[in-house]
Amino acid sequence: MSNNQITLKGVKKSYGGRVVSDIADLALGRHGVEGLIGPNGAGKTTLMSLITGKISADAGEILFFENGNRHDISGKKLDAVARLGLVRTNQRIQDFESLGILDSMLLSVVQPAQETVLGLFAETALRQQAHPAINRYLEAFRFSDPGGYALSAGEKKLLDIIRCLLLKPKFLLMDEPTVGLPQDQTDKVMEVVREAARDDGMSVVIIEHDLDLIWNVCEYIHFMADGRIMAQGTPDEVRTSTMVREKYMGEGDA
Amino acid sequence: MIDLLSGYAIFSLSTVLVFVALATLLHLQFGLAGIVNFGVVGFWGLGMYAFGILLLNFQLPYFVALILAVAIVALVAFVLGWVVLDLDSQAQLVATLAFAAVIADLVTTEKWLTKGVVGLGTVPHPFGGAQSALWLLLILLVLTVGVIVYARLLGRSPFGRLLAAIRDNEVLARNLGKDTSRAKLIFFTLTSAGMGLFGALSAPVRQFLTPDLLGPGVTFSVWIALIVGGKRWPLGGLLGVLLTIFVFDFLIETYLRVPSDWAQIIPILKLMLYGVTLVLVLLFRPFGLLGDRRQPTSHL
Repeated sequence: MSNNQITLKGVKKSYGGRVVSDIADLALGRHGVEGLIGPNGAGKTTLMSLITGKISADAGEILFFENGNRHDISGKKLDAVARLGLVRTNQRIQDFESLGILDSMLLSVVQPAQETVLGLFAETALRQQAHPAINRYLEAFRFSDPGGYALSAGEKKLLDIIRCLLLKPKFLLMDEPTVGLPQDQTDKVMEVVREAARDDGMSVVIIEHDLDLIWNVCEYIHFMADGRIMAQGTPDEVRTSTMVREKYMGEGDA
Repeated sequence: MIDLLSGYAIFSLSTVLVFVALATLLHLQFGLAGIVNFGVVGFWGLGMYAFGILLLNFQLPYFVALILAVAIVALVAFVLGWVVLDLDSQAQLVATLAFAAVIADLVTTEKWLTKGVVGLGTVPHPFGGAQSALWLLLILLVLTVGVIVYARLLGRSPFGRLLAAIRDNEVLARNLGKDTSRAKLIFFTLTSAGMGLFGALSAPVRQFLTPDLLGPGVTFSVWIALIVGGKRWPLGGLLGVLLTIFVFDFLIETYLRVPSDWAQIIPILKLMLYGVTLVLVLLFRPFGLLGDRRQPTSHL
């Protein structure tokens, strides 16, 4: 089980008087792979943006614990948070238009020491060093043209996730990973993510509307509505909660 | 053969080389990293005047003055970059354009330092002797080739890839832990200092420095050349300068015998042709004559 944890205390964010996030006390990452579910507009994506520093909170404290180190990441910049090993995959498709699939992966793998204004000849060493990790993903996931560009929306989504995994994060936040991906690719992504969680101690939180995936993959679930955490527990506990059924799944469903 | 290496030919070729270097440096800033620098003449002119002032007013040794002048440009670029690089491209455009205007105005008004429109004294060539202008031309040639080689190598290096990623999608690059602000600032400082270096070396080419050298025409010529040639390519600046500045400022002005009545018309004609060329290129080859650069890494 992982040692990596994110805790939020009194974190608030509002836009023009509308409170989109109001998290009194929340701990993420205690249970390996966790799920974050809730109706549209519940504030799930906003919560992830607050944690990674893409947007800043109006108030509150966000802490990140990894391997016994404690980092106060409230108000930290997006890239600084990512360098601590807390990385997020994107809900909407994000890509580097002029980078091919391999370039995209090399961009993730490269060490800061190789990425300098005068490092004009670091490329060969980088490619050799990146070879095993990149090949592993190219074998697991079939791109129609691995030596070219990610063409379809699904390939771009997949590439986004692979870029994050290549960073070897300590904590991975996944925002709707299945959207735009075919089922067999989704299964493979989840397999790889679970493997990393098990072998490398990576903590994972997944936002998903595909509840089958949530029930199957997650060991613990946070349920969110109206910017608040309303329920927490094992998949069975959350699935049978009357409140969750009323607010999210609708009575008689599930 | 017409006096190929007459004094005027050497002067024109030196000027052309300086423009090739500036256009290649702009390729690095804009074509590679996506930084919109409309203050090229500001960095170039600051290097030129700083060098001239350190050399003539403060009597510093030649190469000490040169290094100090480049250091001053680097410092100014660092401060300006720190303020504007994280703003959007329109803001960068306005800020750098304003910076260049401020430099030109300061050079005009601060007469105690620059002698204003009267002009700073004569900046000598780095080496004396009969072939001094030719030596300067050679130095410029070596340095310009150096900039092009650097641009070519950088484009295929990890840092070049990072810059392309920042240009394409900066938030996504930061999402991957890239300190994009730092990368842009370092790179902008370095490349702007390069513009300052070529400015300093333009001082002995020009010899007599006056504020009218610092008009926005320099910036626009460099931009037009780069866009015509191909902003994404290390050789785009070279090609663009050959097709624009080289044709007019070198071939026509040096070798074409024009009737004296026409002499007045040529500079105007030049600007009109620049404009027409730019419009045609933007219409039919928006990425310049060399085109877009889409060649991904195809194997490891």
